[in-house]
Amino acid sequence: MAVKELVALEKCLGLNSGKYSSRAQGAGKIPVLQTNKGPSLVGLSTIASHLVKEAKKEELLGSTAEEKAIVQQWLEYRISYIDRASSKEDIRNVLNDLNHYLKDKVFVAGNTVTLADILIYYGLHPVITGLSVQEKETYINVSRWFSHIQNYPGIRQHLPSLVFIKNRIYASNH
Amino acid sequence: MAGGTLYTYPDNWRAYKPLIAAQYSGFPIKVASSPPEFQFGVTNKTSEFLKKFPLGKVPAFEGNDGFCLFESSAIAHYVGNDELRGTNRLHQAQVIQWVSFSDSHIVPPASAWVFPTLGIMQYNKQATEQAKEEIKAVLGVLDSHLKTRTFLVGERVTLADIAVTCSLLWLYKQVLEPSFRQPFGNVTRWFVTCVNQPEFRAVLGEVKLCDKMAQFDAKKFAEMQPKKETPKKEKPAKEPKKEKEEKKKATPAPAPAPAPEDDMDESEKALAAEPKSKDPYAHLPKSSFVMDEFKRKYSNEDTLAVALPYFWEHFDKEGWSIWYAEYKFPEELTQTFMSCNLITGMFQRLDKLRKTGFASVILFGTNNDSSISGVWVFRGQDLAFTLSEDWQIDYESYTWRKLDSNSEECKTLVKEYFCWEGDFKHVGKAFNQGKIFK
Repeated sequence: MAVKELVALEKCLGLNSGKYSSRAQGAGKIPVLQTNKGPSLVGLSTIASHLVKEAKKEELLGSTAEEKAIVQQWLEYRISYIDRASSKEDIRNVLNDLNHYLKDKVFVAGNTVTLADILIYYGLHPVITGLSVQEKETYINVSRWFSHIQNYPGIRQHLPSLVFIKNRIYASNH
Repeated sequence: MAGGTLYTYPDNWRAYKPLIAAQYSGFPIKVASSPPEFQFGVTNKTSEFLKKFPLGKVPAFEGNDGFCLFESSAIAHYVGNDELRGTNRLHQAQVIQWVSFSDSHIVPPASAWVFPTLGIMQYNKQATEQAKEEIKAVLGVLDSHLKTRTFLVGERVTLADIAVTCSLLWLYKQVLEPSFRQPFGNVTRWFVTCVNQPEFRAVLGEVKLCDKMAQFDAKKFAEMQPKKETPKKEKPAKEPKKEKEEKKKATPAPAPAPAPEDDMDESEKALAAEPKSKDPYAHLPKSSFVMDEFKRKYSNEDTLAVALPYFWEHFDKEGWSIWYAEYKFPEELTQTFMSCNLITGMFQRLDKLRKTGFASVILFGTNNDSSISGVWVFRGQDLAFTLSEDWQIDYESYTWRKLDSNSEECKTLVKEYFCWEGDFKHVGKAFNQGKIFK
């Protein structure tokens, strides 16, 4: 999964495909990138940040010091909470967290798209795919954000586009 | 790309629309907002300009190929790109919908509310309150639309976002304080995102959202009315002025309220004209009491020996009334100079009432222990303030009691207040200073 995602990110950034492998760690697997110039890099957010720098698109890591920290914070969140969500309750917690956080935000960090948006979008894609129309409406801020990011040029790549209904049909809860 | 020139006065929010659109499309656009290329009020009155733009209004666009266009949204459409205009017919229609929405539903109430706070339009309490309600309704519509959406149309910035953002710009800068915008979180999220897009920022700079709702600035308004005579110098000019007014009454009265489409020049012109051409006392029979004559006596002669006897000798209790007014919130009065500003501010706002009113208002007491009260003389038997919307700002802060002009109480009050001397038994505080409305 993570390797596929990094390949999508490479395409999104306009880079050529690198050499990937996976290494087992605990219950899951973590991606490994063999760089041309030297050591291999391990872990999703390490590799993703490296790719962004390779592509000279450092603005995707945040523009101010605070924004950079927030991008890192959500990359960490992606690994620690989204990837490790195993039960329905874990997933609910993640969606609640994000729904609350995105209430007054269009992007995860700052006012433009960052690596945090891209990796959370990739990580959340299987979760959102499994939601009913009604659930999508419950997590309305997540849905709005997700719909925006999946339509952002270049990000979606191989992932199927998910449907969101813009006119709410269930909720009168504002 | 053809490229072209945009004529405008500096910092015109309407001109921002084409300029932001050009940031997105890369259309080369030159701004002509200062001499020698363009001088607002001069260049746009020349026959050369009017030949190209018959309305004589800005922003106006002239392409390098000679193509001329007015109306800011049309210019934005022209200099923008397909993505901004909407990539399919459905989106294109929705873009037009929101652009029209901003012109018809946001700009009029936004102007009515914001212009007085910038001093470019007289404050009118009812108009402002009504505008606030309309803005609430409009923000409600936008808020529920933006609950499920990032931008107004599709998933990208379009001319819809540019037009609506620009029409909300002054509201967010001047009056939409945090508590007012709190119920419209989706609108604020969208607005902040828009103004922080690099293409918007390049034109708008940093947009700081309002911390505290701006109020009408009477001082600034007065400063921006260069044609207005100061009331004290009015006397010698009295006759010609009256003539002028009568002439005006004879010609069909122009619409007093500035149309929302008007640019600053137009609204200023409308404002420089007397806002109420109608005489609110037209229904009253002629009175024998000549206010101007009394004021002359009051100003030039001894109050006790000449002005007061003149007042009582000529006062016409059918045509005029005398009122006692007391400030309702004396506990809120702190520094005496601030209290004096309160009085003079009220006088300033009642400027149009000077011809048919007279008052002596006195501040009693000292810092943090004072009160304000006064004696007013008005034409007619009712409080004058309800006659004009422009006069209704302050009077609700006072309790008004009509005095019987035959009563001893009335005679005493008139004497004490007009002379600024006496026991002022009912007050219980020492005379501090007085102000005369004449």
